[in-house]
Amino acid sequence: MTRHRLAPQLRKFSLSSPHSLSIHGSMTNISFFVHCSQVPPWMKLPSFYLLDAISKNVYEPYARLFAAFVIPLFLESYHLVDPQTRSKMEEMLLTWRTGSPTGKELFGVAPQASIERGIWGSSGNSNASGGFHAPVGRITKAQVLSELEFTLGQKERALQTNPYDETARNHINILHQLRKLVEAGVSQEELQQILTQLRSLLRSVAPPPPPPPAVPAPQPWSAPPTYPGSTQMPAAPAAPYGQPPSHLRTYSAASLGDVKVEGPSSAASLSLPMTSTDAVASIPSVNSIQNLLSTLVKAGVVSATATPPEAGSSRQHTPTAKTEEIDLAKESARTYRKALLAQKIKLTTSDITKKRLDVVSLLYNQLPSQCKQCGIRFAGSALGKKALQDHLDVHFRQNRKANQNIGRGHSRSWFVGTDDWITDASHDIKGKGREDGARPLNSKAAAAAEVAQREAELRAQYVVVPPGDEAKTISCPICKESLKSEFLEDDEDWVWKNAVMKDGRVYHATCHAEALASTSSLAAKLRSDLVGRSRSATPDGLSTTRSTPPRAAGSSLKHDIRNSKSPSPDSISNSLKRKADASVAPTDEETPPSKKIALSA
Amino acid sequence: MDQPAAESRKWTLEPETEYRFELDPGTSLAVKLLRGQAEVFGAELAEAKPYLFGCECKAAIFTWQGCTIEVTGRPSTEYVSDETPMSAYANLHIALEQMRVRALSALNGSSDEDDENRDENPSSRRAEPPRVLIVGPEHSGKTTIAKILTNYAVRAGQGWSPLLVNMDTTEGGWVVPGTISAAPVHSPIATYSPANPLGSAATSAPMVLSSNALVPLVYWYGHPSINRNHLLMERLVRTLGHHVDYKWDADPECRVSGLIVDTPASFASSSSAVDHRHQVIKSCVESFKINVILVVGHEKLYVEMQRLYGTQLNIIKIPKSGGVVELDFSYRERVFNYQLHTYMYGQVITAPPGVADATLGGEALTDLVLAPSSTVIKFDDLTIYRIGAETMAPTSALPIGAPRVVSEMQPVLVDPSQPGSGLLNAVLALLQPFNPDENERYDEELLDLPVMGFLVVTSIDVPNRKMTILAPNQGSVVGRTALIGSFEWQEQ
Repeated sequence: MTRHRLAPQLRKFSLSSPHSLSIHGSMTNISFFVHCSQVPPWMKLPSFYLLDAISKNVYEPYARLFAAFVIPLFLESYHLVDPQTRSKMEEMLLTWRTGSPTGKELFGVAPQASIERGIWGSSGNSNASGGFHAPVGRITKAQVLSELEFTLGQKERALQTNPYDETARNHINILHQLRKLVEAGVSQEELQQILTQLRSLLRSVAPPPPPPPAVPAPQPWSAPPTYPGSTQMPAAPAAPYGQPPSHLRTYSAASLGDVKVEGPSSAASLSLPMTSTDAVASIPSVNSIQNLLSTLVKAGVVSATATPPEAGSSRQHTPTAKTEEIDLAKESARTYRKALLAQKIKLTTSDITKKRLDVVSLLYNQLPSQCKQCGIRFAGSALGKKALQDHLDVHFRQNRKANQNIGRGHSRSWFVGTDDWITDASHDIKGKGREDGARPLNSKAAAAAEVAQREAELRAQYVVVPPGDEAKTISCPICKESLKSEFLEDDEDWVWKNAVMKDGRVYHATCHAEALASTSSLAAKLRSDLVGRSRSATPDGLSTTRSTPPRAAGSSLKHDIRNSKSPSPDSISNSLKRKADASVAPTDEETPPSKKIALSA
Repeated sequence: MDQPAAESRKWTLEPETEYRFELDPGTSLAVKLLRGQAEVFGAELAEAKPYLFGCECKAAIFTWQGCTIEVTGRPSTEYVSDETPMSAYANLHIALEQMRVRALSALNGSSDEDDENRDENPSSRRAEPPRVLIVGPEHSGKTTIAKILTNYAVRAGQGWSPLLVNMDTTEGGWVVPGTISAAPVHSPIATYSPANPLGSAATSAPMVLSSNALVPLVYWYGHPSINRNHLLMERLVRTLGHHVDYKWDADPECRVSGLIVDTPASFASSSSAVDHRHQVIKSCVESFKINVILVVGHEKLYVEMQRLYGTQLNIIKIPKSGGVVELDFSYRERVFNYQLHTYMYGQVITAPPGVADATLGGEALTDLVLAPSSTVIKFDDLTIYRIGAETMAPTSALPIGAPRVVSEMQPVLVDPSQPGSGLLNAVLALLQPFNPDENERYDEELLDLPVMGFLVVTSIDVPNRKMTILAPNQGSVVGRTALIGSFEWQEQ
């Protein structure tokens, strides 16, 4: 039960019938209290989300009623749950500061303050206008970190709604740096300084935008987003409204590649001309963050030449980048080979026992970047950074899976049979792509590869944004979601990613393909095998050779899809998978080498 | 045993020293790396993460460049040693690594112009990847060396995935004793309990490290001693070797990563007059195309191996670690119990008081607890065989000219309703299904089937022709075939 499934439905429900709800107000309240206090710890969070959503959407009278018992309820639960849930609860608590319709504390000043005090100790200062900027007592690292996370989440959401916002990008960049800094440990005064600045920044930005409508979660094989800090707080950055912003990485990576923060000298790059409309509003906060950073630089806390850790890890899905990557891989393998073969040793007893070779450089110095979670090391090259990113993605996925599995029992799996062992597919699942392409895959792996390739190819399709339309947001006629635009550096053009143009309308390539697939599967049932066979063609073939459906058919189709789609975010992936299984199994074609490349993306 | 507050101690280790510890039954230990770099048998520790050890684990934290560690808990023995054979093991790793990169460039067809160091060694001239057999007497640290070499290979950052083969039937590696098995390793193998000396086989839980979710190919021998039925042992070794070969054909990168074989002590020393170890070693060398034999701290064995294989293979003598602990029979017994318990129920180790967020080999503790399933099945649901007769007189003791009534390789059907079937508490190996294609089947297919999982018969109800079995998961066993060996296990 994650929040992004819960919240929109609830919002719709509560907004549509606030009156009828309020009739049962006291009743609901009581049942809530009972619910929250009696459920097992792992169920607490959803209950709180419910409470949160109700209070925010139907402020009067629920917030008032909840305020009476929210303090003990929150604190009690907070001490029962595990660290990950705690960080989510902290995140939620922070939204309560400005949760009321007037931008004030959701449950009032006093409850907010006492909850914060209960969690972060005496430093959880009163939120009243006077004491807000003057925290007293010790500030804990955890508190600053969770506020940082929260601000970061807000910024990232802001960026998502307005991808052209250079300011927001810079903020995110700086906030990431700050977080690293805080994690590394800074003094009390600096913590306090950071906290004050953060809060003023938070105040200066507009109240959080309403949560976007339920977004179909990214397909399992599309690499999920990784925040640089996810090693420390796994899964925590999944913002309260929990839509993993898969397209976000592209932005932040791109901006990080362009803008290198170099202490005070970065002032110029930080105040880049802004394109967004709300840029004016956020100028003061740029300055405040800049001030903070420069004071830190002066204090010698930040090295002036620090580069963002993600630099160079920008991901491209173009084939040229792929071949470069392979070249890079070959190059690094050659370097390793050279370093290794330079060590003079023969495989003899006397050499093995008597010589002293430099193993430290092989095992440590050549692999400077280390995963903080499990200790595995990676090379310092761009390739190594990418490998580390992939590795962190695996951690992220694993943590997410582990969180979903809470309460379910695990058991030992059966061992595999000889065929599955020989063509062991677990390797690819672990995120380690292979370039050789000479491996025969078993049917299951082939199906998965097919789906992944199809998906990757669809996502790689784009439509160039007509000049002048860059700021215009358009949405896919099938899923009604806005298309994400992105700057393609190779072509120096703004494009809509995952998009396809049909009859003058721009669709999501994935939505369009699915629409096509569902018609053809219907047709396949009715007609001969011939039609079914055409489905095993690559998506490229699908979108170019097939006649485009007339608009009327398209709209009725749209209707079908919307009806047949279940609210589960996995349904798309599942249905895709099933289709791929159906279409791949009988033909069992040779896998083209490009598949491998797509897999390793 | 509720200790109020576990005291923690700091140890500062000089470069190339190790902190060794031994645990008593029922105690656990948490080690946290505060500064520097440290590794447990080749698997590097992440900083500031408490690592748990339990189940009478005996291990060492080694550092190449010095480190400070914080130890919480009460080991029965703990000390720092500055005499380790690690530099020899590291040299060995570099030599093996050189074989790997040469094999890789041979595979890619690239010239080896930057290889000035090519020696006249026959095996490296052919650019063969390292295929290592580790032999040595009891308590010489063979399994540890296999683990260190594997860990260093996967840590090299070159995407190696060496095959690790466990031939030690007295200890199950990632499965249970009585088996031989092989698994490709993609990430460093963590050490935390003697129940999982070589990592852990896959469960339904998501794992951080793939070495805690290994996918092994397992064959059931069923006895601790290789002398019990050496013909069966040789046959299983060759079957496993065939499949390793197929895997290498299918996956050239796995081939160039090489293979490391851990063996039981019975490969090294002859305990009885009836001794078949040379045949078994020979089948190992041939099946896995071994090109390097490591002899751990045993002069006589080294000479013996030189004499037998010195002309074709590289025989290397390597020192054994002074930290190896002599283990008695009752310890082996307990490790056997730990292994079966871990197979069924997962790893349950409670952290010393005051240690939060501890991990077992990098995994969250809750993910390692497993739930087996206990079901009642009919006698007819499961076909159980025993390979060879239960007790066999040596061939020399038979009357001259008299053939055996039951040969060593003959599957004998076990009838659960007979008293003395030996089924109660027996560990059964559930076999993979027979070939679905009737034409592909053959008489002795039963002997070549890999294992799907292990069952334990917990009670037998003869009047109703039913028995209760403990299975690792909910999967149905109806209509399957299982083999019985000489292992028994009772939950304690």
